[in-house]
Amino acid sequence: MNFAATLGLALPIGIGLAAIGSGFGLGLMGRGAMEAMGRQPEVLPKIQVAMIIGFGFIEALTIYAFVTMFFLQGKIG
Amino acid sequence: MRPAGNGPDLMERSIRASFWMALALAAALLPARPAAALSLAAGELIMAANFLFLARLVKVFTERARGVRELPLLGWAAAKTAFVYGGAFALTRWPSLEYLPLLLGLSMPLLAMLLKSIMLALRTGPSPFPRRATQTAGALGPSAKLAAVLLLSGVAALAAPALARAGGEEAGGEHAAGVQHLPNWVVILNDYFPNNPVVHWMHQNEVLVFAWVAGIVFFLYSWFAMRGARRSVVPGPLQNSLEWMVESMESVTGGMLGRHNERYFPYIMAIFFYILTMNLLGIVPGFKSSTDTLDVTLALALITFLYVQWSGIRNLGPLGYIDHMAGSPRDIIGFAMLPIMIPVHLLGELAKPVSLSCRLFGNIFGEDTLVVVFVSATALCLKTSLLVLGAPPLMGITALFMLLQTLTSIVQALIFALLTSVYFYMMLPHEEHTPEGAEHAHAH
Repeated sequence: MNFAATLGLALPIGIGLAAIGSGFGLGLMGRGAMEAMGRQPEVLPKIQVAMIIGFGFIEALTIYAFVTMFFLQGKIG
Repeated sequence: MRPAGNGPDLMERSIRASFWMALALAAALLPARPAAALSLAAGELIMAANFLFLARLVKVFTERARGVRELPLLGWAAAKTAFVYGGAFALTRWPSLEYLPLLLGLSMPLLAMLLKSIMLALRTGPSPFPRRATQTAGALGPSAKLAAVLLLSGVAALAAPALARAGGEEAGGEHAAGVQHLPNWVVILNDYFPNNPVVHWMHQNEVLVFAWVAGIVFFLYSWFAMRGARRSVVPGPLQNSLEWMVESMESVTGGMLGRHNERYFPYIMAIFFYILTMNLLGIVPGFKSSTDTLDVTLALALITFLYVQWSGIRNLGPLGYIDHMAGSPRDIIGFAMLPIMIPVHLLGELAKPVSLSCRLFGNIFGEDTLVVVFVSATALCLKTSLLVLGAPPLMGITALFMLLQTLTSIVQALIFALLTSVYFYMMLPHEEHTPEGAEHAHAH
């Protein structure tokens, strides 16, 4: 197994793993935010802002994998 | 407000206007590239027929409730399918068909409708200018019409050599490497004027050009929006939209930054609007979002990073800044932890610009790539001509992804701005800026 084949196999799997992790994180975060919003609709804007910021942080992890994929994509040849 | 109804009237008028636009363009193209002119006219014809059939179908469909038979509905649907899709298929069988003019012709009624809707939204009426122009021409009599025809043919004569050369260029440069970006107007300009140094420079520095375009677009938007504020007390639609965005962002960042908000809000808002405009430019056909290169996003993130550090030094003092970086040690355990805390804080600070820039770049680049993939799939369907029936659903999917792209553009600009304010909040002294909140908590 040469370098290019290893890379070609590993990159999609890596992105998938990152996406699974981010998905779990987003799900937990969304669930918490939804429950809080349902319980206290009057603080909805504050929760929404915090939720969006948190989404940004969580989503960044998948994006890192994505960017890594693009940087290494050229080496697959 | 406006006495004339805008619904069906608008559509009929825009189709009529698109006919004139297509006719003028085809006339300009005819001397140099007759095949292109014919393709354009055919595309316009097919799309206009599509809209007319659709209008008829909707009319029959809505009248059906009042007891009209279903036969006309099926008949019109069959006629539409036969004419529009059959016409498209027949076109693809024509060997000297040119695809760029065909697509231009196909999008002409949509373009006219878009322009007219924008005019309506800006309250300038469906089409005051062409109407006034034709009225003037009618009053001036046949001499004005003759002048218009002469002007048109003059333009055609001027444009013909350039267009002919461009046609040759296109045929030569067909087999480029893998398509990475959709062509924008700078690329098209570069195709038409390959030896012009200014155009060449613009082609080399596309990202810069489109960043400037974004700045100019937002400048014009805010200028037009606030121009009315000096004249009348009642805000117009543009002013309302701008004020809504600014006020809602101000309430969010004000909740975080407190009394520092006045100093840092202009920066946060400027960066928000700049990124938002750059992101949204990517959706407009013929434009490109500058934020899909790491250079631009890294520059923005570095500016933010340096400004945050500077504001920390300024507000905490040099010693206070070092203390903040060391995790504010107050007891013996804190001082013992110093060798661990300082690298951790430094790394955390350095990760901020990296994460800011990579997040923005990755999201916008990913969305753009998605749209490029679907657009090239649609183009492939049109080009292979066997799968021409697959083109309309693919176009629909592309439009859906463009909706998603709009959402991502707004959310990413929002996240960048909110994270900037969070970083300011983490850097500024914490104790002083929530006295109201503390009093509030005590009162309860």
